[in-house]
Amino acid sequence: MDVSQYLDIFLDESKEHLQNLNTSVLDLEQDPENPDTISEIFRAAHTLKGMAGTMGFKRMQTLTHDMENVFSEVRDGKLKVNAGMIDVLFRCLDAIEEYVSVISETSDEGDNDNEPIIKELNDILAGKSSEAAAAPAAEPESAPEAAAAPAAEAAAPASWNIGDLTEEEQKALEDAMMANKKLYSVTVTVQESCLLKAARAFLVFKAIEEHGEIIAANPSTQDIEDEKFDLEFSLIIASEGELDPILKDIKAVSEIADAKGGVFECEAAASEEPAPAAEEKKAEEAPAKDPGTSVAKVKNEVVKKPEQSSSGSSAKTEKKGAGKPAVNRTVRVDIEKLDSLMNLVSELIIAKNSLVSSATSNTSDSSSNMHEQIEYLESVTTNLHESVMKVRMVPIESVVSKFPRMIRDISKQLNKPMELYMSGEETELDRTVVDEIGDPLMHMLRNSADHGLEMPQERIAKGKPETGSIFLDAYQDGNNVVIEVRDDGNGIDVERVRQKAIERGIMTEEQAYAAEDSDIINLLFMPSFSTAKQVSDLSGRGVGLDVVKSKIEALSGEVDVKTKLGEGTTFTIRLPLTLAIIQALMVVVGGEKYAIALSGIQTIENINPKDVKTVESKEVINLRGTVIPLLRLDEILGCESRREPDSDMIVVIAKKGEKLAGLVVDQLIGQQEIVIKSMGKYINKCKFISGATILGDGEVALIIDSNALI
Amino acid sequence: MANELSTNINEITQYIVIRIGEEQYGIDIKYIDNIVRMQQITRVPQVPAHFKGVINLRGEVIPVMSIRVKMGLAPDVASKDTRIIIIKIDQHEPIGMMVDMVKEVVNLSSAEIERVGFDRGDDKNAYAMGIGKHETGLITLLDIDAVLQGL
Repeated sequence: MDVSQYLDIFLDESKEHLQNLNTSVLDLEQDPENPDTISEIFRAAHTLKGMAGTMGFKRMQTLTHDMENVFSEVRDGKLKVNAGMIDVLFRCLDAIEEYVSVISETSDEGDNDNEPIIKELNDILAGKSSEAAAAPAAEPESAPEAAAAPAAEAAAPASWNIGDLTEEEQKALEDAMMANKKLYSVTVTVQESCLLKAARAFLVFKAIEEHGEIIAANPSTQDIEDEKFDLEFSLIIASEGELDPILKDIKAVSEIADAKGGVFECEAAASEEPAPAAEEKKAEEAPAKDPGTSVAKVKNEVVKKPEQSSSGSSAKTEKKGAGKPAVNRTVRVDIEKLDSLMNLVSELIIAKNSLVSSATSNTSDSSSNMHEQIEYLESVTTNLHESVMKVRMVPIESVVSKFPRMIRDISKQLNKPMELYMSGEETELDRTVVDEIGDPLMHMLRNSADHGLEMPQERIAKGKPETGSIFLDAYQDGNNVVIEVRDDGNGIDVERVRQKAIERGIMTEEQAYAAEDSDIINLLFMPSFSTAKQVSDLSGRGVGLDVVKSKIEALSGEVDVKTKLGEGTTFTIRLPLTLAIIQALMVVVGGEKYAIALSGIQTIENINPKDVKTVESKEVINLRGTVIPLLRLDEILGCESRREPDSDMIVVIAKKGEKLAGLVVDQLIGQQEIVIKSMGKYINKCKFISGATILGDGEVALIIDSNALI
Repeated sequence: MANELSTNINEITQYIVIRIGEEQYGIDIKYIDNIVRMQQITRVPQVPAHFKGVINLRGEVIPVMSIRVKMGLAPDVASKDTRIIIIKIDQHEPIGMMVDMVKEVVNLSSAEIERVGFDRGDDKNAYAMGIGKHETGLITLLDIDAVLQGL
């Protein structure tokens, strides 16, 4: 069955279920008895298993199957949830996540069997009280086989009948002897619980290959590949080294119960003259191949195995270049949003038709009619834009929901009790922004958890609750979305940052002491400051903050820090709701048109030139009790203002957080929706120009980033 | 084998011949995406002098540079012959180059091209990679990579 067409859906749903599982297991840790949570987990695990099976991802299926088994026992009350189990479950979820990400990149699940996790899961199952009637189904194949394991072979390990060797094998044997290599015969025993014996055997082959060559195998390599052996297989190895390290390496392969061996009886090989019948028979079974290629074949075979079951997708995999995600990014859209889009498009067509008809009719009132139609068109396009933006909006939940788990892991790792409180997960942001915001947020949370919060003893000494708190709050503020990461830790020691700045020659002593605390804290965002090793003891706050800042700024957002020594730190990220289309105020400066993003504008004022005062050789105005610095755009932009010097100045009051600045312009054109276009990398050196836009008449106008000016 | 060799020698390359000041220059046609008439250029503040600004090329914002300023000649004076050549090289964003005039397209075989050593210190010669001999006169062939380098 060709299932490749369902891959997208599979990945989407797997991720959803995984997230679900992560959250539920976290809940379970808090409340191990909750039957609802347990059944929720069971259901999700069951669905995941089913989906993986349908798609032919056998390894993923095996893992989820075992996980489901554990939950099935938990649900039936036969197993109790404990901390160790939660840890295994989390590791199991991580492994599944890895499968999913490998699948999304290559359309194949890769060849990691995650044996240790499967084993731990089975141990949990096995460790439960023995009166549990239903035998765990975790060992579907090996259990019956184990019972039937023939004792005969085990009794006589390394028993080789030379007649079993093919001509090629004998030839290789002779060659190896000629080359003065030592020959060993080794018998490897696989654990009874082993599910993928062929894979284990492959790993054993691989381990041996590091030491020498495999001359022959019993059963044949072909049979071993096909898992046509019970729990043992025997090999003849030619090596220049000693036997012990080889055996040690074989035993190091997980789920290998034992490996025994001894020096191979050379005389037997030398005697030659094998029974022709036996030889032929063997030769038929394992068509001519020297040991080297047979091992290579094993490798191929093992890798290919999962693909055989999903032939449709596998064929494509090989054609696709590695490293390139095989799946397109998608957004799930509420059907209602699509309906409203469809309606708007119909309206757009109607508007176009009326425009056409009014343009062709020659009646006297056609001009006013035309205006009406254009207004109609305008409202339709605005609505259309809004609807499309809404389609692109996704709640930040998809990103932040993985954080509780992360904080839990850090807490365990550092032995530092802490709790993450989140609010506003439903806040929506553009999909592209949401995708990008995860890493910076994670970085900041880590920072807070690792460096911000003190160790419990220290906290108790300071009279704080032992458990540290980290808050992640998201909310919409006008055209921006604000995300705050707050902790009640020690805060940033501004004085130490100041010292460091002086030490590192970033500021002179004089500058450093004159600078505001906030400016000093902003130094932490400087790349040179944060990556320096010496600073890492400086309450640690600096590691990678420059990366956070550049990432946020790439999204046209900004980061701000507030801190109080001993009480904690707050990082505030401010992001624009949308990236591509914004509302802007069009202004004229020196005959050139510029756009200023409306979100950054507080008011527009008419100011008499006489009211401009000079403070510290900077021009300021006093606007209703607030002193606002004045920026003359004509000087900044390098053009000549055409305004009459004595007439009132038009001042656009721009705000950035709590800071204000007055931008002096020549003339206002009005508010307009503009599409932001990049200017390319050749010409983007200018800090306060954030892009360009194309106006209705085809002219290009530059967009002034008022935030960069303040 | 012999055939292959001979085509190598007589490899024909098409060049667009432009005029900058009094001299003729050639640009390999493979670099050229488009040639548009002079149009309004929006000045961008605080950029190097050889950047004239940006234009709207069918909805895309494209920076425009002046090869004259880059070569240390007098600034461009727009006339009815002035053209903007849109140059596009792999891995580079498109960029417009203002030239005084676009004359013609010529075919030059490798035999007609002389790779002379230029004094790279001289602004005017820094971007030359050879001289093409054609019936209309000598054509200085522009090394586009060198022009775009360090923009």
